[in-house]
Amino acid sequence: MADKLNQILQKQQKQIHEPDHADENIIQLVGFIIGDEEYAIPILNIVEIIKPIEFTRVPSVPEYVLGVFNIRGSVIPLIDLRRKFNLTPMNNTGDTRYIVMKGEDNTAGFVIDRLTEAIRIKSDRIDPAPESVGGDKGMIYGIGKREDSMLTILKVESLLKRDF
Amino acid sequence: MDDIQEILEDFLVEAFELIEQLDQDLVELENTPEDLELLNSIFRVAHTIKGSSSFLSFDILTKLTHHMEDVLNKARKGELKLTEDVMDVVLESIDMMKSLLNCIRDNGDDTSIGMDLADIITRLEAVSEGKDIPDSVEEEIEEETQVEEPEEEASEADYAKMSDDEVEAEIERLLSEKKAEAKKKRAAKEAKETEKSSPAPAPTPVPSAKPTKAAPPAKKQTSTLEQTIRVEVSRLDHLMNLIGELVLGKNRLLKIYDDVEERYEGEKFLEELNQVVSAISLVTTDLQIAVMKTRMLPIAKVFNKFPRMVRDLSRELGKGIELKISGEETELDKSIVEEIGDPLVHIIRNSCDHGVEDGEVREQWGKSKTGLIELKAYNEGNSIVIEITDDGKGLDADLLRSKAIERGMISEQEADSMSDKEAFALIFKPAFSMAAKVTNVSGRGVGMDVVKTNIEKLNGIIEIDSEIGKGTAIKMKIPLTLAIIQALLVGSQEEYYAIPLASVSETVRISLDEIYTVEGRNVLRLRDEVLSLVRLSDIFGVKQVYEPGEHTYVVVIGLAESKLGLIVDTLVGQEETVIKSMGDYLQGISGIAGATIRGDGGVTLIVDIASLMNMAKGLKINIRESMQTKNKTKTNPEDYTVLIVDDSKMDRTIMKKSMEPIGIKTIEASNGQEALNMLKSGEHDIDVMLIDIEMPRMDGYTLASEIRKYSRYKNLPLIAVTSRTSKADRLRGVESGMTEYITKPYSPEYLENVVRKNTKLTAE
Repeated sequence: MADKLNQILQKQQKQIHEPDHADENIIQLVGFIIGDEEYAIPILNIVEIIKPIEFTRVPSVPEYVLGVFNIRGSVIPLIDLRRKFNLTPMNNTGDTRYIVMKGEDNTAGFVIDRLTEAIRIKSDRIDPAPESVGGDKGMIYGIGKREDSMLTILKVESLLKRDF
Repeated sequence: MDDIQEILEDFLVEAFELIEQLDQDLVELENTPEDLELLNSIFRVAHTIKGSSSFLSFDILTKLTHHMEDVLNKARKGELKLTEDVMDVVLESIDMMKSLLNCIRDNGDDTSIGMDLADIITRLEAVSEGKDIPDSVEEEIEEETQVEEPEEEASEADYAKMSDDEVEAEIERLLSEKKAEAKKKRAAKEAKETEKSSPAPAPTPVPSAKPTKAAPPAKKQTSTLEQTIRVEVSRLDHLMNLIGELVLGKNRLLKIYDDVEERYEGEKFLEELNQVVSAISLVTTDLQIAVMKTRMLPIAKVFNKFPRMVRDLSRELGKGIELKISGEETELDKSIVEEIGDPLVHIIRNSCDHGVEDGEVREQWGKSKTGLIELKAYNEGNSIVIEITDDGKGLDADLLRSKAIERGMISEQEADSMSDKEAFALIFKPAFSMAAKVTNVSGRGVGMDVVKTNIEKLNGIIEIDSEIGKGTAIKMKIPLTLAIIQALLVGSQEEYYAIPLASVSETVRISLDEIYTVEGRNVLRLRDEVLSLVRLSDIFGVKQVYEPGEHTYVVVIGLAESKLGLIVDTLVGQEETVIKSMGDYLQGISGIAGATIRGDGGVTLIVDIASLMNMAKGLKINIRESMQTKNKTKTNPEDYTVLIVDDSKMDRTIMKKSMEPIGIKTIEASNGQEALNMLKSGEHDIDVMLIDIEMPRMDGYTLASEIRKYSRYKNLPLIAVTSRTSKADRLRGVESGMTEYITKPYSPEYLENVVRKNTKLTAE
């Protein structure tokens, strides 16, 4: 038990000290799952992550705009990323979360299947989006290569851009 | 803060106030040329502006006012008679004075627009010498350099109300005081010249304009100094936003109190809580009204320019027209005062040009030679009503119809089915003009379209009434304020919407038989009017989950000149709503004006009446049919579904078995929570529920009362099937909303019969 604790403490210590010498090229991301894929967005664009709450449907908008909800007095839109990515819609599960993201002049909530973890990744480990998928309205910022998996990093500005 | 700029702004604000009054008084004076008191007060106004502007070294302005003053002085002493021609020159010079002041406001000096005074001065001199007035020469451009040096109007004294000597003394005092002050300030500070438009004039009472009776303002000799502060409008706006948040908080608090009251009935602390909640709610409402009041301006601000306008028009058109104004002290929000000016100008111009006939024609009709236009404002509930009435020739509905057909705006059929009121509304169509030829005053078919758009923007309603030969009355109803609105909450299927109460004229409950279909339009006969009907759920494409009953509610909404009946499923009630934007992402969604936050923290959408009416036009759904076919779909027992809620598998099977003889479809849930979720998901169309009382997670009573919270399940038969037999249990069952109460053990036949009864499926 004590060993484990020490390990964790050491790890934390390391995490604290690490940025000092790798500061400029480390990007912090939050990873989440939609469908079978893992995606990530920069942590600085996230206002907060909440459990699903009641929302109000809005007429004459595309299907992926579920409606609007109230977050501490502001009314903001709720966008279902499953529908936006043309995946089959799914009912909320216990893991479903709303990620509230903020761009330059817009704020919106996004429904995701589940959160994974906070990710630190060196910027040289991120490749630009391959040409063939870059056509997807430029929603992808880049592909992050990790030891055992790939990570699609999304462009927050284009997620928040109204395209209807 | 820039001192000199501030002083200049003060000068401008006061100058504009004075000019407004001057305008009025002069028109009034024309009707009662002998009113010395009025003359004196006009003279003093001109004198004050001259004094201030000369001190500020606005030379051009000073020169102009000086010559005006000459003329007025002679008139005052009885050396000059104020004929209409003289007045024309004087009024023209006031117009020039206004443009000079505008120029000072925009550029900081009176030279930038390069006004040539030579012509007007010659004419003013001629007038004051009593000579004929030389013809007006084209105005030319002249340049002069100015030094800006404003004077501050420290005291808010209404100069017009002082006696001559007082005015002179006051000016002397101000001049010496300000000179010293200005010098000091110049030395102390280096003024940076940031241009700012002057703030709106604070509401200072202006003597009312009554062209006919001309009550001499002498009565108000005892001048009461008004205590005012000028505040930037943006600060008031900010305050209003904060109040909005507070109102939302109050709504929330009230809702929570209701919930708490239900749960802890009879507890002592409730009373205390109640006191606090009502106190806060009361104070919030008062605060809201108080802040709203600070933004209110008397409508006189707008009305004041009309006497002058009507006078000019009547000269131009060669008709005698008298304008009667009442209710100019009625107050409304600043933002609305700004919007209301243009529509009124257009309506009054129209009344002058098209409404009032020539003198001879009027005499033939047996009316007095002078036409009368009445402008009236008064409060009605949360709205202000402005009425413009003329006693002219009135609108000819048949002529309007044929004109509209001629222009291809409506078909002959449409014209036939049009009521007179609808025909009158044609004048609001763009490019529709009844004038035979385009004149200076009107005839381009633009004016009334502007009226409609502006009033729509304010969520107002327009009504026209007219009788040939008698005259026309236009009535506009406008909400008092835009930021916090009273709204009617309505339910359409599962969703709630807020309709601005100002646009709601009434609500009625109708039966489906009352809906008729005429040429693909759904209509309702309401008293002597035929009203188009649409379902709110059709406009917004809401899922139809709720079974329509025999009756339904219609909310009659009106906007500008048109009306529409909206079919909704429930009327929830009235609530104060604060309009919140939904952000850039959802900007400009058709049919939605914004959103508001409910007492329970949820979001309700506020409908945009104008775009809603547009959307309604494109709908072609036979409401009656679609509502009735829905009823017809269930004829066979297998169309019906019963939901069995019991935690014991065996009990569920027994119930299922009892249902077999009916042939009804069964589905099962093992506890209340599960059943509620099934119901809410809308996957199954459930007709009857059999509910056990004792269940894990959520018991039968709670389930029943939860279900009854949804308006669409108000009439869903809920049958308690339980082994609890005591009377208290039965009572509780009724309280929670159970329709029937069956105690175990029961015979299968009995259960079958109860279900048959509740689904109205009789045994063959």
